[in-house]
Amino acid sequence: MLDVFMNVFTPSNVEFLAKGMVLTLTLSVSVVIISIIFGTILALLRTYEKRVFGKLAGFYIEMFRNTPLLLWILVCCFMIPYGTIVIRGGLALTLYTSAVIAEIVRGGLNSVAEGQFEAAKSQGFTLIQTLILIVLPQCFKSIIPSLLSQVITTVKDTSFLQVVAIPEYTRSGFVVMGRYTTTPEVFMIFALLAIGYFVICFSLSCVVRGYQKRSEIAR
Amino acid sequence: MKKVLSALLILCLVFTLAACSSSTGSKDTATTDGSLDSVIKAGVLRVGVKEDVPNFGLRNTATGEIEGFEIDIVKLLAKEILGDENAYELTPVTAKTRGPLLDNGEVDLIIATFTITDERKLTYNFSTPYYEDAVGLLVKKDAGFKGLADMNGKVIGVAQSATSKEAVNKVATEKGITVSFSEYATYPEIKAALDSGRVDAFCVDGSILGGYVDDSTMILPDRFSPQQYGVTSKLDSLALTEAVDGYINEWLKDGTIEGLITKWGLNY
Amino acid sequence: MKSSNPFALWRWEKMFGEWQMFGEGFLRTIEVAALALILALVLGIIFGVISTSNNKVMRGIARVYVEFFQNTPLVIQVFFMYNGLAIAGLRLSVFMIGVLGVGIYHGAYVSEVVKTGITSISVGQVEAAKSQGFTYIQYMRYIILPQTIKIILPPLTNQAVNLIKNTSVLAMISGFDLMYMADSWASSSLDYGPSYVFAGFLYFMLCFPLATWARKYEERLKRQDTARIPFEPSEEAVTC
Repeated sequence: MLDVFMNVFTPSNVEFLAKGMVLTLTLSVSVVIISIIFGTILALLRTYEKRVFGKLAGFYIEMFRNTPLLLWILVCCFMIPYGTIVIRGGLALTLYTSAVIAEIVRGGLNSVAEGQFEAAKSQGFTLIQTLILIVLPQCFKSIIPSLLSQVITTVKDTSFLQVVAIPEYTRSGFVVMGRYTTTPEVFMIFALLAIGYFVICFSLSCVVRGYQKRSEIAR
Repeated sequence: MKKVLSALLILCLVFTLAACSSSTGSKDTATTDGSLDSVIKAGVLRVGVKEDVPNFGLRNTATGEIEGFEIDIVKLLAKEILGDENAYELTPVTAKTRGPLLDNGEVDLIIATFTITDERKLTYNFSTPYYEDAVGLLVKKDAGFKGLADMNGKVIGVAQSATSKEAVNKVATEKGITVSFSEYATYPEIKAALDSGRVDAFCVDGSILGGYVDDSTMILPDRFSPQQYGVTSKLDSLALTEAVDGYINEWLKDGTIEGLITKWGLNY
Repeated sequence: MKSSNPFALWRWEKMFGEWQMFGEGFLRTIEVAALALILALVLGIIFGVISTSNNKVMRGIARVYVEFFQNTPLVIQVFFMYNGLAIAGLRLSVFMIGVLGVGIYHGAYVSEVVKTGITSISVGQVEAAKSQGFTYIQYMRYIILPQTIKIILPPLTNQAVNLIKNTSVLAMISGFDLMYMADSWASSSLDYGPSYVFAGFLYFMLCFPLATWARKYEERLKRQDTARIPFEPSEEAVTC
């Protein structure tokens, strides 16, 4: 058993896998940050702008929420003329995740009481001020568990990028696996892949649970 | 209902897009389009190459560099076009990603065991072939296959967007046997499928198979459908294509290419 | 007919000439999705009920199931079943892997939905049932679950939509589903545009009606005012 372990986890393999994990994490974080920004804009448009942009935002959201992520990865990586393959993969993931986050934010916006707008107006706030200073902070406070859950999903979604040979964690694992043909070795690599994602996602989900418990006590 | 209508509207827009721009791509005459000049202006020749094919384009894990016959061609081209044999940038590609990366302009040329076919000529420009290989089959030693004829009813793994599938199909029909195919995105996946018994053979150009042979597998003696590799460029980069083609022809005549093939041990 | 326009008309014509391939893929996707959905529901109900039981061991088992399958990517689970198990000797068909892989993965999410639904039914009902002599199985079956089903339908539909989208993972293991066919055609003919647009359109036609129905149903529930819905809209929106 130990010699299988030593055979599989050579320093160069471990380094290669570590590089993959770094890319996975970098991608996840960047995608989530940009998606939150873009998703919030989409959600605001869809909720408060009922004419042109609201409908466009709605169309965008429905289009990305009802088609698979894999499709967009293939479309972006094979049909867009700019950027490295990592950027294009990240773009696909961002476009998709923005639509999801837009819906999360919209849920949060709807939970902010109607009366806030009237109260703000009566105090002389403009719409933008109301949104930025009053509505959005409350909205975000209420959607933090859902946003964190979506971060977990995004970390897992980066594994879809392996299909276009982006060297993230899953792809690195498969490249390493290509050189080993016996059952224990292959199982060990799968185990390492699973553990890698599990550690990150489980920690995040514990944070979500902790946050939910705390906010319930507060209520 | 409204959303379905807007979906249909978008579809119509796409069709209009298609109809409007279905004209042929060639506008200028060959020597006046800017493809060659833009490479010279950029000062670097960007080429897509393989990094997992021994002797053609393989990443040396110790030095981190990609080396091989095709990389040497890149160096020669860089020397001719830009005057400096190190003025190049390599981007690793797979059979699936190489075409799109060329279309997108991320690379100027593709030199990545890219087989010339009539169908591909509709979408890309190819130089005169610089190498001829043939499709081979990698199988498990203990499967007992001696040739393609033994593989009636078996599953063959191929890479998406490679020519191997058609090649095998043609020969299989000639021999009167039927095979089925499973397609995968990259070569390591096909090798894994072979190891796990998902496919009975890994089918791709013989040169590429060389990189995946190990103790439990062997390459069958069958070789079919000679595949010619060409330097690939975008359909409307006519000036660049002509220049590259000229050099390749020159090197074929004066034995440079022959020399490189011998250097990398590729003359089967 | 040379053109570097990816949406050229002749490319569309070529693709529609192959409509059988897309049709087969579409059918395969629907089959896998339907069976996986049934599996996910069965697993979800079983583990959802188990996770609300008084037995600590049972709750622990449910927790392990949920945590493992929710915190590892579906891609890795599917590849493990495809290559990992096969090297060890267990070679399941690609169809089976699709159903089992996607079904078990979503079962974990469905069980969380069921658990939330069950725990939202007021404790008073359980106590009242117990005082009337109902056993655990009886009050689950006749009182709790019927109410639960109504209120968990919207998030369940969300799961169903995600499930349909996740069947596309079959494309990575040569699964002959819609995504695989579209990708296979796109790579071999180099007609990327029409292929992907058509596949996207078909997925949209599968998912959008479900999603819209869920939204309308949820609004109807809210208006009826008889059920207290325990799910925040922001929670429901999270994909998996």
